[in-house]
Amino acid sequence: MGDAVIHTSGLTVYYGAQRGIVDVDLQVRAGEVFGFLGPNGAGKTTLQRVLMDVLRPTRGSARVFGMDCRKQGVAIRKRAGYLPGELSLYPGIKAGAFLEMLGALHGGVVDETYRNQLCERLALDPARKMRTYSRGNKQKVGIVAAFMGRPDLLILDEPTSGLDPIMQQVLLDLVREAKDEGRTIFFSSHNLPEVQAVCDRVGIIREGRLIQTSEVDALTKQQFVRLRLRFRDTPPADAFSGNGVSETRRDGREVILEIAHGMDAVMTRAAALGIEEIETLPVTLEEIFLAFYDKPTKESLDA
Amino acid sequence: MLSLFRHELLSRWGAILGWGTGLALMGVMYIGIYPQFKEQMGALADIPFYKAFGVDMGSFEGLIASGVLLNLPVILGIYIIVTSSDTLSGEEDRGTLELLVTMPLRRWQIVSMKASALLTATFLMLFIAAVCTTVALAWMNNTEPVSVSLGQMFGSVMSCWPIAVALLMIGLFFSAFCPNRLSASMATTVVLIVSYFLDTLANLVEAVEPIRPLSLFYYFDSSATAYTAGVRLSDVLALFGVAAVFFVFAIISFERRDLTVGRWPWQRARHRA
Repeated sequence: MGDAVIHTSGLTVYYGAQRGIVDVDLQVRAGEVFGFLGPNGAGKTTLQRVLMDVLRPTRGSARVFGMDCRKQGVAIRKRAGYLPGELSLYPGIKAGAFLEMLGALHGGVVDETYRNQLCERLALDPARKMRTYSRGNKQKVGIVAAFMGRPDLLILDEPTSGLDPIMQQVLLDLVREAKDEGRTIFFSSHNLPEVQAVCDRVGIIREGRLIQTSEVDALTKQQFVRLRLRFRDTPPADAFSGNGVSETRRDGREVILEIAHGMDAVMTRAAALGIEEIETLPVTLEEIFLAFYDKPTKESLDA
Repeated sequence: MLSLFRHELLSRWGAILGWGTGLALMGVMYIGIYPQFKEQMGALADIPFYKAFGVDMGSFEGLIASGVLLNLPVILGIYIIVTSSDTLSGEEDRGTLELLVTMPLRRWQIVSMKASALLTATFLMLFIAAVCTTVALAWMNNTEPVSVSLGQMFGSVMSCWPIAVALLMIGLFFSAFCPNRLSASMATTVVLIVSYFLDTLANLVEAVEPIRPLSLFYYFDSSATAYTAGVRLSDVLALFGVAAVFFVFAIISFERRDLTVGRWPWQRARHRA
């Protein structure tokens, strides 16, 4: 297990007959920002709810700080801040009073100055009743609640949801600061640019199964390489057709290729056609993510 | 943990004042009409319908008991059904429970604090009603003295609390056990109605008498003797016993519950990790 803050093994949750997550083996290291990617319904929220003991696993184990999420849930939650994906607040009370109550439930360990700073940075007026808040402001209350105790672990489910672009940046800054302070952040999202901006590693979940965990940089490199090739003369239409290579664009003497494997053959063919210029183009995490979701799953193949 | 209790109680402050005032008005109204009814009460006492239900309408105690003590637990029961079923499953439906259970609290602590707030709220409602009816009686005594003392009047209204406690804990259990607020409130309503009619029916049908102890109202004296004989300790203990059992059931159910934030399907933790 090493210095894993979160460790799940064969973690499976079924809602009756409906699949939640299946055999998820995951490790999140201390001090890292771990991005958890997946579309709606993939199982992201289910996993986080198991970690916070909102849901109980059907089988498998989930440990946080080396403690069992079920048996030692209170000790875990003392050291964790959680922002639910579907945040609902009590409409009749003021945000300030609500945050005070949450602070008290955390044993009064909240630094008031820091809490006020968070409210200021997020432009949140805590003196208003929560029924008067927009969705974004409610999300800010949840963010302050999660961060204000400076927890060792932050579990954030779609944290930028409902925030305007400026506040999204403030949130990402808060995540970076938390990481700089050595805290661990579990960052669930389907907004790929923000995951790419703050995360060290990502896990991709699909139909309840964790299909990939990787360093963000490595992930963007390992899937395919995108090349722009410029030739002396216009190359033939089927010059690069073959396994592992696809031509995504053609503009006269210029072609753009995505090469999953068979780079040698591409280079040999390009040399034979009279290559003038080669450029490697960036591949975004979003493209990688979509590539994962284009692949059929074992379940769909079986079906 | 006390901050949760405080939050729960403060969120019920409007209901405490509103329901407390409503219950008080009911008591004051019956006390207020007594001087006008006094002359006809002899005739009322002979009406077979009242006799059949064991209602003594021939005295001030009988009038107040049939008007206030008989109705008060049922009217308060409406509040109890609404609020107790809302406590866990209602909050789950709305999604506010998720953040609460992710605080460093044990689930039994959450149930206990919510239960304590409910018990305190109903106590305060009855207290408001008891104070107001006692003041009304004191005021009436100036012109129309009756045999019921101020202490007996105050005590009779507060005697509704044990049955309210039992019904609250039953509602809390259904709130922890049922998948949503609607089913929890329906189950609690059934308990209240069956309990009420079982006790009432036992006055008319002798065959029902053996199962009468299954009714909560069996342990609550809503007749005129409530003013003279006072509250029976055995009845109070029986109601508190029922409340304690259902409180424990509520904790067990909530401990086992998977919170799905108001979404179907929900499940209990049948499989352990």
